[in-house]
Amino acid sequence: MKPLARVILRMLSRPATVVAVSGIMAVYTLLYLWLTGDIAGDGMGGWQAAFPAWERAFQTRGPFQFEPVGLIGLGALVWTFSPFNTLIAAALGLLVGSNVVAGWWLWRTPRQCGLGRTSTGLLGAIPALLVGGACCAPLALIWLGLPIAGGLASLTPLLVPVALLLLMAGLWLSLRRLVREESLR
Amino acid sequence: MTPCVLRYAVLSIALGLAPLSAAPAAPPGRDPPLVPVVYSFEAFREAVRSGGPGKDGIPSIDRPRFQSAGEATLEADDKVIGVYHRDQARAYPQRILVWHEIVNDELGGEALSITYCPLTGTALGFKRGETELGVSGKLVNSNLVMYDRATDSEWPQILGVAIDGPLVGQGLEEFRVFWTTWGAWQARHPETEVLTDQTGFVRNYRRDPYGSYNPLGGYYAPDSRRLFPVMHRDDRFPPKTEVFGLRGPEGALAITRESLREEGVVDVALGERRYTVIHDPGLDTGWAFQNPQGVEIQAAELDFTAEGVTGSGIDSLEAVNGFEAMWFAWAAFYPDTHLYEGKEAP
Repeated sequence: MKPLARVILRMLSRPATVVAVSGIMAVYTLLYLWLTGDIAGDGMGGWQAAFPAWERAFQTRGPFQFEPVGLIGLGALVWTFSPFNTLIAAALGLLVGSNVVAGWWLWRTPRQCGLGRTSTGLLGAIPALLVGGACCAPLALIWLGLPIAGGLASLTPLLVPVALLLLMAGLWLSLRRLVREESLR
Repeated sequence: MTPCVLRYAVLSIALGLAPLSAAPAAPPGRDPPLVPVVYSFEAFREAVRSGGPGKDGIPSIDRPRFQSAGEATLEADDKVIGVYHRDQARAYPQRILVWHEIVNDELGGEALSITYCPLTGTALGFKRGETELGVSGKLVNSNLVMYDRATDSEWPQILGVAIDGPLVGQGLEEFRVFWTTWGAWQARHPETEVLTDQTGFVRNYRRDPYGSYNPLGGYYAPDSRRLFPVMHRDDRFPPKTEVFGLRGPEGALAITRESLREEGVVDVALGERRYTVIHDPGLDTGWAFQNPQGVEIQAAELDFTAEGVTGSGIDSLEAVNGFEAMWFAWAAFYPDTHLYEGKEAP
C-alpha cells in the first residue's frame, strides 16, 4: 500500500492536479444534476433561496434519487436542492476527475516494459457520463425522443452502483499502473 | 384472579383488533366494471413497465391547498384540470399536476382523486372512499398505473379497472373532470378555487419536464414519438393527436376533436346503444350522453352553464364519462375502438 499512497500523495501535491480534479468534478456534478433534472431552466430571474422541506432529505424518489429540500433560483436557472443527490453527483464527479487525471499521468509517463498507452482512467469516465444521462432515463430520452425508455428505465437501479464500481476499478488500475511505472524507473 | 385474567385477555384481543378495524376501506367500485376490458388481466400485467421513479417517487398531493381565482398567477392559455362537484369548482394547474399526477382531495364532502397522466394526456376523476390513490411508478401503454393505499391493488388510469392485487377486475367509480384552459375555466366558474404550489414538496413548477402545451412542443407535439412500448399500435393518426373518448359496455368510441368542433353534436351507435356527444365551445371539450330514445339534439338550442349543458331534449339523456386522450394510448387500450372522424369521412 505504501507505494500506492506515495503516488496519490505525489499527485495531490501538485496544485495543477488538484485544480484539474476539482474542475472536472464541478463540471460533472453540474452535468449530472442537470441531466437528472435537479438543475433546470425557467427561473424567475434574480436570485431566491428557500429550504422548506428538510424533513424530506432522506425520502427517495427512485433508486439513488432523493427528494429536494429546497429551491435555489439564480437568473434563468432553478436548482431543486437535495443534499444526497448533490453528494452522489459530487462523489461520481470526484471519481471521474481522478480517473481523468490518473489517465493523463499514465499517458505522459515514459512507457517501459511494454505497458500499453491505453488510459483506463479515461475509459472509466465514459460509463460515468452515461450514468449521468441515463439515471433519469425518461427525462434524457424525452429530450432525445428515443422510444427505448421502457428498456432503460428498468436498469435505473443498477446505473449508479455500476458506474461507481467501474470508476473505482478504473482508478485502482490506473494507480497500480502508475506504481509499477515508478518502481521500474 | 380469573376475572382479572379474562379482562386482560379481552383487552388484549380488543387492542389487537383495533388496527384492523381502523384500516381504511377499499375505494368504492363496480364488479364487473362498466367499461370494456379487452385484454386479459394477465396480458396487462405482462405489459406493465417501470417508469423509472419508484412507488410514490412521483408523490401524490394529499393535503392540497387552494387560493381564490383572483390570487392565481396563471395565464389564460395555461392548461388546467377543472372539477365541478356538488356546487364547488376547483382548478388544478397542469404545471403542478405534471409533477404529482394525483391529488387526493375532498369536494362537497366527498373524497375524490383527481388524476393526470402526462405521457398519455389524460385527466380522470375517481371516487376514493376512505383511502387514497398513489402513483405506483409503473406504466402500461405509457399510462399511469395508480395504486390504492387500502389494498395495494393496481389500476391503470385510462382503464379504471384493477389489473393486479386483491381488487383485480373491479372498476373504480369515475366522475367528470375537464381538460381545458385557465381562461375558459375561469369564465365558466368565476368563483373557482385554484390549487396552489404549496404542495409540501419542492419542485420547479414553472417547468414541464416533458415539453410544453403553450406553445405545443416537446413530448406533447402530435408527431413526437411515444417512449414506452404499447400493447397495440395504430398509426391512423400521429401518436399524440388528441381525441375525445368514451367507453360503454359494448366498447369504446373515439371522436376526433376537429369533427366534434365542426359538427357540434355527434350521434354514434355502439352496438345497440346510441350515444350523443355535444361540443362545449366554452371549455372546448365534449359532453357525452347515452341517448336511448334517439332524441335529436340541436346545437343551436343548447346552453352551457356551470352545472353543465342544458336545452331541449337534454333531460332525456344519461350522462356518460368522457375525456381527452392521446390517440396512441386510446388505441392501445381499445384496439377495436369505433372511430368517428366526421360525417364526410368514410
